[in-house]
Amino acid sequence: MTDHDHHTEDPGWADRPAFQKWFFRGLIAFGVVAALAGFVPDWQKKHPHFAIEQIPVFFAVWGFAAFMFIVLAGQHLRKLVGRAPDYYEERE
Amino acid sequence: MGASDLFAALAINPAVILSIGAALIALVPNAQAQLRRPLMLAVVAISAFQLTRLGLGTWGDLVIFGEPVTMLRIDPLARMFAVVFHIAAALLIIYGWHVRDRAQDFATLAYPAAALGGVTSGDLVTLFVWWEVAAITSVFLIWAPGTRSTFLSGMRYLMIQVFSGTLLLAGVVLTYRETGSLAFNEIGLTDETGAIKASGLAMFVAFGVKAAFPLLHNWVQDAYPKSTLTGTIVLSIFTTKLAVASLARGFAAEPALIYIGAVMTIFPIFFALIENDLRKVLCYSINNQVGFMVCAIGFGTINGAAGYAFGNIIFEGLLMMALGAAVFRTGTSMATELGGLYRTMPLTMGLCIVGALSISAFPGTLGFVAKGLIIDAAAESHNLWIWLVLLFASAGVLEHAGIKIPFFTFFAHDSGKRPQEAPTHMLIAMGLAAFLCIFFGVQPQYLYALMPEPEALADYHSYTPYHVIEQLQLLVWATIAFGVLKVMKWYPAEIPSTNLDTDWFYRIPGRGLLFWAVDATKAVWSIAWEGMRVRFNDAMARIYAVHGPEGQLARAWPIGFMALSVAATLALALVFALAV
Repeated sequence: MTDHDHHTEDPGWADRPAFQKWFFRGLIAFGVVAALAGFVPDWQKKHPHFAIEQIPVFFAVWGFAAFMFIVLAGQHLRKLVGRAPDYYEERE
Repeated sequence: MGASDLFAALAINPAVILSIGAALIALVPNAQAQLRRPLMLAVVAISAFQLTRLGLGTWGDLVIFGEPVTMLRIDPLARMFAVVFHIAAALLIIYGWHVRDRAQDFATLAYPAAALGGVTSGDLVTLFVWWEVAAITSVFLIWAPGTRSTFLSGMRYLMIQVFSGTLLLAGVVLTYRETGSLAFNEIGLTDETGAIKASGLAMFVAFGVKAAFPLLHNWVQDAYPKSTLTGTIVLSIFTTKLAVASLARGFAAEPALIYIGAVMTIFPIFFALIENDLRKVLCYSINNQVGFMVCAIGFGTINGAAGYAFGNIIFEGLLMMALGAAVFRTGTSMATELGGLYRTMPLTMGLCIVGALSISAFPGTLGFVAKGLIIDAAAESHNLWIWLVLLFASAGVLEHAGIKIPFFTFFAHDSGKRPQEAPTHMLIAMGLAAFLCIFFGVQPQYLYALMPEPEALADYHSYTPYHVIEQLQLLVWATIAFGVLKVMKWYPAEIPSTNLDTDWFYRIPGRGLLFWAVDATKAVWSIAWEGMRVRFNDAMARIYAVHGPEGQLARAWPIGFMALSVAATLALALVFALAV
């Protein structure tokens, strides 16, 4: 098999839209269950160290927001430090 | 101290056993190169047996030049690092079973031996010796590809490592002057009045260079990815963890480490996001992961630091090995050139995902049971901002190590590459690492039993409902964020590029300054030389004018002048004689 004839082969399982759709839905369902679990009194921390920990979905919100921030803000770093791939080869 | 005492002290030391093994294996001729790896594995087994046989205690208490030293100390802290160093060395030997390179085979044993010697040293002189040996043996792995670029990178690496060694030596001397002892115990950054000690500062920076503190970190990304495929993985494990063990012993509960560690967990995330070379992404991940350990030392949770180092060596090693297998089969580690390998490398993909889940600290993995100790220590210190930073950084770990590595290697856009599955020996090494990730994840008591302060863990339970729920909320919703970013096409495309980091300062302006200084020195020297040459020639011309064949002094003098000079000399002698 050459590197070029893969376009005619069947897409792999991970590339099938049906798999991607169900994977994403499953992920959201898992996330919702995890968030709802935060509301169960018996499963909450008895002696929280910070008031913010008492918000049942705090970790979900913080995780989502942190990831979004890292990707959306972080990509602008490229403008500051990004150079051509052979940047050092030319200079050393 | 007799020679026999020294010999006995050396022979008992597992690090010496590994070092001698490395030297002997280097003597195996190239025609029998296939024997080297089985022999290396046997040497690691002998060293591990010796470590087990010795148990806890100190050995090699000698007096050298009138000073007592302890060449081998195996306490619970040293043992935890020693055990995981042996596991890592064995896995790396299996992983690199195909390698037939004398220098790499030597370094793959000698360098872990030096790191082992460092963590088990009971005095500062022994630590310094192993510290330097680790620098020198590891550079062979960076030079192994044999290109100009790797040579230059190796020289930069060596310079930085030797700088750390020199600072350590200064710290040892200053500590000896202050305390009169060479024992390696708590050092501390400040004295009882709160003033910073020169000895403590020198050691702190020496350890900090090797631990890759912020702004001192870039030798990792500069040197490690330039090594060979297996060399990079060997390098990624030992140096920074030797520094973590040393910081844990010398600077436990030092508040500055909390903030240094927190910065270390954050900034590499952003560099890893925009980095196209996935081996470099994992090098930024090393900085980030060591940040968690440094933070743990700052909080005084040595269990957290040592436990996370133990875990990180296994799961970060697993990620490195899985990526390495993809590089071995495709010849590239660029995200832009990889992708879609899950079709033909499903086992490597599965093992990579175990590593990714573990480094992200999903419940059920080694990462979860180790990282929980650090996050809890941050909460117990009631330091809200640091606690939030560590949670933020945990989402960042998921982004660059948990998702980016497996996603861009095995999924993402189809590169069209259809390589074979990884070789069997690589699969065995990765399989063992993945097994350990899950084994310690579901049976954390075995990890906790190894920890330096087991009594501090008496009331600690990893799998409380709130620990699991908090972690799942954080990680699953961060993963959903990734899905949203991909669906909305907001996730940045990978671009082939070089991203500048702190090494730019010494590679471009620093190099320019150095060359300017060389040129300036040359110019000053030629001006000075020219000036001297002109003056010398003038002087010679004048002497020639007086003494040369045509000169005044070359003339024939009359006898009367001679008699007059003798009379004048005698008169002068008479005056002196009368005066005295």
